[in-house]
Amino acid sequence: MSAAPRLISALGAKLVPFQFPGQGKPSLGIVFDSDFGNGIDDVLALAMLNGFEGKNEARLISTSTTKSNVRAAAFCDVLAKFYSPPPPPGAGFPGFQRPAPPIGMTDNGKMAEDTPVMKAVLEKKSAEGKPVYARSIVKLNDTADPIALIRNAFSAQYDENCEVVLAGPATNLAKVLDYPGNADLIQHKVRFLVFAAGTYPEGRPDFHIKTDLAAARRLFADWPTPIIAAGQEVGAVLPFPGSSIEKDFAWAPDHPVVDAYRAFQTMPYDAPAPAMAAMLYAVHPDGYFKLSDPGTISVLEDGRTKFTPTAEGRHRYLVVDPAGKAKVIQTYVEMASAKPTVRAPRFRGGQKKNADPPKATDPPKKQ
Amino acid sequence: MMITRKSLPRRAFLRGMGTAVALPFLDAMVPALAFGQAKPVKAPVRMAFAYVPNGIIMNEWNPEYEGKLTTFPRVLKPLEPYKDDLLLLGNLTHNTGRALLDGAGDHGRCCGSYLTGIQVKKTTVDIKAGVSCDQIVAKHVGDQTRFPSLEVGMEDARQAGDCDSGYSCAYTNNLAWKSETQPLPPILDPRVLFERLFGNGRVLSAAERARQSDYRRSILDFVNQDTRRLEATLGPTDKRKLDEYLTSIREVETQIDKAEKTNAQIDPHMEKPYGIPADFSEHFKLMTDMITIAFQADLTRVVTFLMTREGTSRPYRELDIADGHHPCTHHQGKADLIEKVTKINTYHVQQMATWVEKLKSIREGDRALLDNMMLVYGAGLSDGNRHLHEDLPTLIAGKGGNTINTGRRVVYRKETPMCNLHLAMMERMGVHMEHFGDSTGTVNLAELA
Repeated sequence: MSAAPRLISALGAKLVPFQFPGQGKPSLGIVFDSDFGNGIDDVLALAMLNGFEGKNEARLISTSTTKSNVRAAAFCDVLAKFYSPPPPPGAGFPGFQRPAPPIGMTDNGKMAEDTPVMKAVLEKKSAEGKPVYARSIVKLNDTADPIALIRNAFSAQYDENCEVVLAGPATNLAKVLDYPGNADLIQHKVRFLVFAAGTYPEGRPDFHIKTDLAAARRLFADWPTPIIAAGQEVGAVLPFPGSSIEKDFAWAPDHPVVDAYRAFQTMPYDAPAPAMAAMLYAVHPDGYFKLSDPGTISVLEDGRTKFTPTAEGRHRYLVVDPAGKAKVIQTYVEMASAKPTVRAPRFRGGQKKNADPPKATDPPKKQ
Repeated sequence: MMITRKSLPRRAFLRGMGTAVALPFLDAMVPALAFGQAKPVKAPVRMAFAYVPNGIIMNEWNPEYEGKLTTFPRVLKPLEPYKDDLLLLGNLTHNTGRALLDGAGDHGRCCGSYLTGIQVKKTTVDIKAGVSCDQIVAKHVGDQTRFPSLEVGMEDARQAGDCDSGYSCAYTNNLAWKSETQPLPPILDPRVLFERLFGNGRVLSAAERARQSDYRRSILDFVNQDTRRLEATLGPTDKRKLDEYLTSIREVETQIDKAEKTNAQIDPHMEKPYGIPADFSEHFKLMTDMITIAFQADLTRVVTFLMTREGTSRPYRELDIADGHHPCTHHQGKADLIEKVTKINTYHVQQMATWVEKLKSIREGDRALLDNMMLVYGAGLSDGNRHLHEDLPTLIAGKGGNTINTGRRVVYRKETPMCNLHLAMMERMGVHMEHFGDSTGTVNLAELA
């Protein structure tokens, strides 16, 4: 094997989202923000994204949790490491692997509770008494400032080549809007945001909305791109089949998604999965869901959302096509249970003369 | 010391024969009535950035602990005696140094963004960065000093050409930017810096320098009479301070003379510039001695010091390293190259240690000059092999006028923008801004461990 392919195959660890000219535009980047540690559908959505990455249909470019608990970030770290295996032994140049992508975490000064989902994964021990799942987050400064993390992820993308999937409170994303230049940056880089929250056209209060009403209102009012809502009603009619956990994930003797799923609720159960619907729509906006007419989503004081149709509205919600339900579930299972893939990094070669340069990013406006 | 109602003006000069030599901070400049008052006259806070290129071997820089500074790793070891005066910071990031769609050119970007917080434009012609934080401060406080700022360097002030993968040399060879298109090139020649500081701002031509050298007169000889007159009015402490200060000026003069004589004997085929010592440590000492004098005499309060240009391939024959610095940093994990880079990194810190010692030895009222400074020592890359722009090696020497809680290692959250530190430093220089570069807030340098 000649040097270049050997280098490429050797540097197999999944990289942070660098995009290098000369190799064409990379696949769609996904910024994924959720209250990781509380539910199970966001974990399944993350697993599904891994499946899409394996098919080069999307890339995870930022992971952050709104759960203010370092162990929630550690939980995300476990998942990130599980889906980003190191290169094979003896491969490539030692010291060339880039560091693992940081995990963002909201820090509101209070420590949120550990949940059974987190404990089942973080406290699982081997026969020798060692943690089964690798993680490197132990304290607050092992986590990233989520605002900087998300902003930085946007700044590294080609225009309109990323999307945001939000499956928790809007705390982090609302704060991203507070900084100069970020709204412009989002407008350039992000196609749309998919928000797994609310019930549509209206329904009962939603925990993700109620947890931070002000942030949800800010998001719906000021987010500069279209917002697509994946409501609880979608999650309810398209649950993830619990039977899949017992058979499709069996390739791994220890699988954090399996451990988390079993801890979330007493088995057997099918998990409502609005976050999976959101992720599937984000990666494949055509072919799985219908969309409502345009309108405006507002947030009520008790945590309910209300959709008002307006022709100029920038909000829509997912509508399930009854004829397509089986296809959706099949995709959920196939992608969420996919094995991690060691992917070659995008090698930053020399500049090619006469190559069409990518559009430069305008830096955030400075004071 | 005789206490009178009148005090010596802070802007007093020793004058003679068309020459003026500024004075350091003396007790005699403190009005008698200020003693015992709630707000005594304070020496000003100074801000300085000393920059090293090509990253650092980080596992020899970062201690494994946080909180109170104790034992230092190898690269930082020379500074260990001064740990109580240092603040070691971790996880500061310059996202604008990363590729962000612009491909290769980490060296051009990291230096161009270091004090600007801006992703510089990839070009060799129509350069564009942003106003650097030191220049924002210089604009604010510069009218209080003879020089709003000083830009000092030790290598290569080229402003044109391609120095890194399509990035202009203006990016790798400057730290300070007065506007988004106007970098401020550093002064490399000790003689030029000396004449700028003490020669009424005139840069002498080679013929004028030669004529001055012929007369073998010190600048201090020209102000001798004024010096004697002042000394007669000073107390013993101030007499000693003045003597030390003038001695340091004379020492610098002597060193420059010596360096120039030595250089005159060097084979011209080595293309050694006139006045620049061949030895790194000698050059470093000359430049930092003059920066120190400039601070002492309040000629400026803002300095940037580009120790060597970003991306430099300077060999270190002083360390028996014939390989270029930059190629060594792409060590690919090879132990011999890592060792060479570690030696270079340590050598740089050794020079800094001598400077910190000097700053600590100079008194300003009841504090050391170092206590009234924020001297940042750092790099625009952390891991030079992988060209990483996070966890940038950053150390602050000095207490910023007693506003910085030193003696600690503080590690911020990952991706914390370096510009957050710049905001905190600018605040201490009297510049309040809500945002700078890609900042997301500020950092608290005063919090207790």
